[in-house]
Amino acid sequence: MNFILPNFIIPDALLLLFPFLVIGSRLFCSYRSPIPWRMANIGFIVIFVLLNFIPLTNNIGKFFICNWKIDDFGVLIREVLMLSAMLGMWLSKDYFEHGADGKPQMHQFAEFTGAIAFATFGGFTIVSACDMLTFFLGLEIATIPMYALTAWNKKDQMGSEAATKYIMMGSVATAFELFGFSYLYGFSGSIYFNEIRTAVEAGTSNPLLWVAILFLFCGIGFKLTLFPFYTWAPDVYEGAPTPVTAVLSVTSKTAAIAFLVVLVFGPLAPVQEQMAPFIALLAATTLFVGNLGALKQTRLRRFMAYSSIAQAGYIMIALLGPVEMARTAIIYYLFVYALSNYLAFFIFGIIGHHREETFDSLRGLSQQNPALAIALAISMFSLAGIPPLAGFFGKFHLFFAGATTGHYMLVGFAVLNNVIALYYYLQLIKSAWIDEPEDHLSPLRLTKRQRTIIIALSVAVVLLGVLPFLSNNIFGGFTF
Amino acid sequence: MTLMNCLILAFLLFGIGVWGLMRRRHLIGMLISIELMLNAANINFISFAYFSAKDSTAGALFSIFVIAVTACEMAIALAIIVNMYRRHHSLDADQLRDLHD
Repeated sequence: MNFILPNFIIPDALLLLFPFLVIGSRLFCSYRSPIPWRMANIGFIVIFVLLNFIPLTNNIGKFFICNWKIDDFGVLIREVLMLSAMLGMWLSKDYFEHGADGKPQMHQFAEFTGAIAFATFGGFTIVSACDMLTFFLGLEIATIPMYALTAWNKKDQMGSEAATKYIMMGSVATAFELFGFSYLYGFSGSIYFNEIRTAVEAGTSNPLLWVAILFLFCGIGFKLTLFPFYTWAPDVYEGAPTPVTAVLSVTSKTAAIAFLVVLVFGPLAPVQEQMAPFIALLAATTLFVGNLGALKQTRLRRFMAYSSIAQAGYIMIALLGPVEMARTAIIYYLFVYALSNYLAFFIFGIIGHHREETFDSLRGLSQQNPALAIALAISMFSLAGIPPLAGFFGKFHLFFAGATTGHYMLVGFAVLNNVIALYYYLQLIKSAWIDEPEDHLSPLRLTKRQRTIIIALSVAVVLLGVLPFLSNNIFGGFTF
Repeated sequence: MTLMNCLILAFLLFGIGVWGLMRRRHLIGMLISIELMLNAANINFISFAYFSAKDSTAGALFSIFVIAVTACEMAIALAIIVNMYRRHHSLDADQLRDLHD
């Protein structure tokens, strides 16, 4: 028997192997050993580089054992997820050396990285699924490690409360989704996406199908923090340790968005047009609520939670567009969102190491450390969508995808909302640049790693906007 | 026994789960309600597989996987709740008030 592992499956296989190796390494080395840290670095970087070697071919994808599909969308989502895992690991490293933001020091770095890798693998599974079972398992693999990560600080009261709220809400979401899947199975008689698609084409007005869609959107609404189901997000984002909040806001959101994209443009594609008013309503309310909520926040992580709720609303708009355009817009925006968000979290992390993570701690930042204040401004302007930065082009493509199918009202509403968003992002910049510090603030010290990453991320956010050729692959789907 | 009976049973179970989740203030009670909701979905899968589906093995398999996944989820949930009890000395959901706007 001659069994050869095809090239394109190697990153997935390595990522699946990685957590076992890194957690297993704890058996052989002492508690303070740097080996897990080095393994995590090498592992994540190698997987990320290998992913970049997979050629994007614009075809329908390659199959492994006929049930594991790797297409262009999948590869690019994998890259976003790996980027998020890598940055999350680098961000978390300092929290294992000393406590921050009133929380005690974290322990067990190897298991922490392993959990992040499992969550990332869950995202991989979502984008390669060809049937509902794999799809469901992927979503669960992406979510369950997140519960554990939220509660990582065992001694922290806030952390345990946040984790309790998260797992309660998350399990309810799972139940709703599963109920939706069961009706979808009953409707189509099969769990394979192509057969479901045929069944959906044949019976677009079957009530069973619409009940299934309703339940599925309820379930994913929890995970993507859509309007009626977003209430857990600010509490969990605030209670979780800062690096976990960053991973949560990028990895779990990317996985949830990928889930929706696979679902809406896969098995449910024949009814996309009928679903459009529903998706538009969810998008509009979500971004409105997110923006309103962010206005009155004073704590940084809670602020980022509302900001990321609003961003989820913006991403939903692209789901209304034609398939290729929507996919490219969403992927580009996810890259930009991941970079800008991590840049913000790295800065908040540095501030959190010395002070509390509130708006007041940012005061006088421009005098104390101008470079950090500039990086903060870049990240906030990018999240708000100011022209020369990547965030503007990301939002432009999202809105363009929505407008192509004629949802001008929604796009107009989103643009108006962007003005509200600009107000609160500017408020944060105002605290850093204009407000005088009230009393003496403790000095900020940056390690070499933090400095390198912040510079790299700032440059990436600026360049991704002004040099579109860097993202040539991403723009392949656009036909202007 | 028809498909409709099973579906009504599953839907009722799901409803009881949702109702319990809202009424119960004890975390373990809420977990049991969630378990009810997940099992309602399982009954749906099995009844669809038995009565109507073209591909009946898939539905039965799905429910087995769901049981395994639920076990993982409940294990993590109980671990978090035990930790939560050590910090707050209470399992009342109304006591979760440290994080708010």
